[in-house]
Amino acid sequence: MKKRRLVIRTAILLVLTAALGYTFYTHFSEERGLVDAGDEAPDFALEDMEGNTVHLDEMKGSGVYLTFWATYCAYCRDKMEYLKDYHEDYRDKGVEIVAVNVDEPSVSVQRYIDRHSVPYANVIDRGMRVSNAYGVRSLPAVFLIDESGAVVERQIGGKTEAQVLEALDKLVPGSG
Amino acid sequence: MKKVICECGHENPYGTELCESCGKPLKDQGKGLVNMRYEGAARRSQTYSRTIVDKIWNFFSSVKVGVWIIVLTLIASSLGTVFPQEMFIPPGERASVYYQQEYGTAGQLFYQLGFHNLYSSWWYMLLVAGLATSLIIASIDRFFPLYRALKNQRVTRHPGFMKRQRLYHTERAGEDAHDRLKKAGDALREKRYRVREENGNLLAEKGRFSRWGPYVNHIGLIIFLIGATLRLFPEMYLDDHIWVREGQTVEVKGTGGEYSVRNEEFLIEFYDDEDERFINNPQQASAVAKTYQTTVTLFQQTSETIGSGVEPDEVEQFPIRVNNPLTFDGFSLYQVDFKLNELSEFTFAVEPEEGTDDELYSETIDVNLYDPETVYEMDNGFTVEILEYFPNYVFENNEPGTLNRIPDNPRFIVEITPPGEEEGEMSMVGIQVNNPLSEESDYRLRMVDFDTNHVSALAVRRDRTIPILIAGGIIFMIGLVQGAYWHHRRIWIQERDGELLLAGHANKNWNALKKDFSWLSEKTGLPEPADQAEKEETDGTRDEGVKSNHGDAGSDKQ
Repeated sequence: MKKRRLVIRTAILLVLTAALGYTFYTHFSEERGLVDAGDEAPDFALEDMEGNTVHLDEMKGSGVYLTFWATYCAYCRDKMEYLKDYHEDYRDKGVEIVAVNVDEPSVSVQRYIDRHSVPYANVIDRGMRVSNAYGVRSLPAVFLIDESGAVVERQIGGKTEAQVLEALDKLVPGSG
Repeated sequence: MKKVICECGHENPYGTELCESCGKPLKDQGKGLVNMRYEGAARRSQTYSRTIVDKIWNFFSSVKVGVWIIVLTLIASSLGTVFPQEMFIPPGERASVYYQQEYGTAGQLFYQLGFHNLYSSWWYMLLVAGLATSLIIASIDRFFPLYRALKNQRVTRHPGFMKRQRLYHTERAGEDAHDRLKKAGDALREKRYRVREENGNLLAEKGRFSRWGPYVNHIGLIIFLIGATLRLFPEMYLDDHIWVREGQTVEVKGTGGEYSVRNEEFLIEFYDDEDERFINNPQQASAVAKTYQTTVTLFQQTSETIGSGVEPDEVEQFPIRVNNPLTFDGFSLYQVDFKLNELSEFTFAVEPEEGTDDELYSETIDVNLYDPETVYEMDNGFTVEILEYFPNYVFENNEPGTLNRIPDNPRFIVEITPPGEEEGEMSMVGIQVNNPLSEESDYRLRMVDFDTNHVSALAVRRDRTIPILIAGGIIFMIGLVQGAYWHHRRIWIQERDGELLLAGHANKNWNALKKDFSWLSEKTGLPEPADQAEKEETDGTRDEGVKSNHGDAGSDKQ
């Protein structure tokens, strides 16, 4: 009798605490994005500036460094410079870099890529459909996607060269 | 813990004050009336406080604590309404500055104490959570013992219980006592009492369900609070907005790419200068929108892969006006804002620096400002190549750039190549800007026309908590009516050892019970019991025991 009472009371209090804790967690942790670590990366198939189709699903087997950018975003431009330098090294190790531009005019994007000779795939997200699917609200936004198509990490904001390198290292298949 | 066995043989839980079955006082309650609150059942919280769990439980079970939480919540809630919450201050204003500017020191204090975001602050949420916990635990702690006591009560009550009811009478039972009791039973049935008889004793009961009113009410309140809390989850409550240009298709946020809308047409009508509402300042009338409407086509995409080439299905076309939203699949699109005349297209002509009206230069090109072509070949042999395009031009860090992708201040760097020539000349073109960048320039682009678009802002809302809130509200009201408009009345009549005993109890509205007794007396000749509470009051003989009982005698608050 006494034991049952304790169990029931404890259970009710635990349920209340759990409900409260969960509410607080979701309300006060702005950190978690619409798509975040552990989620499956939403699939897309878009043509890049060269006319090749970039289909995320077909990149399974390689790690994907998916970066959302705009020509007017200074941190994105810095990041592009680092990525340019390491693009080839990591392609050999099985890491693809995919850049998604957030619906800017093609001319602006094309001219930017030409001027800075950006070597990796660049797609323009017409209608912001990919950005919406990934819950991108501010730039730069990067999603590290492993060889099985799962998001390993979501990175928002400017990053140093060392941080970009570290992120790329995480994506090398078999490293995780 | 030991059970308490009453002399009638019933096993009561530890802490019981009045036997659940016969009503015999098990604890010394002093003289005077018996305390009928919760039928004298053992309120668990009041009896055990062994472990930390019990202590927490007892804390929230206390009505005193509950009242304090309610008072604190009310005070906090009202403080938050002194000045507007942050979400209601004019858009673009910084809260840190706004409150002080607008409301002075008090405003500054309001901001610094965090009252500008009060209803989502952690401590306010804790208060509301405390209120919910208190409601749940206090209800559990009172409902079950009360339910048990009312379910287990038996017809034959202990004389000690009868004697100490507020309405009580005893006299020598006459010869006809048995018949009168029988008649009383029939009469009370007529009054729609539920009558139980046992060994010549009688219990008539009416309106017991009204005692559940407070608990039903609390269930409604808890459902309401749950509904309100669920608003914090985007799955349940979504409030966002999208900007849609005329002719453009935009995905509806929150639908996971399933739905999109195309703005077919945006209409706006302003007030007339002669409108009587603007009689004092007619120049204002033409700035106030009378109606505005966006005609949209709704599309549904079936493919999950973005860009797979699967064409979306057209669902419907609908004119969205203020207060007339487009509703689909739980989502609603409301007309909330607009931007008139956003630049959408420039029309250029090439002309020589030295002006001429030659027909050769009447040729024009249309440049889409959202997505211009790279090269424009003109029929007159000129080629215009766009070298750079900045939709919202800005000159930063000694470099031309753009602020964003909205063509509010479009600027181009173009190269004009005349027919038959290899080398072109560069110039920068924009609104009221036409600067040659090459050393020699013979030609320039002249803007001959431009086109604009209206942009409409639609709010995206999905509120799945409404049915929960309504259900909670309805249950709340049912409980309130149940507890307030009905009351629980009981009449006990006994014939015991040649004595006739009458007692009555009501959880409120004692007058109705007294009326029932006098009606019964008229019908059957049974005596009317006296109100012992009143008698004691007039006699001035109230002792401590009576005082505490008398306080509840009018109504048993649950």
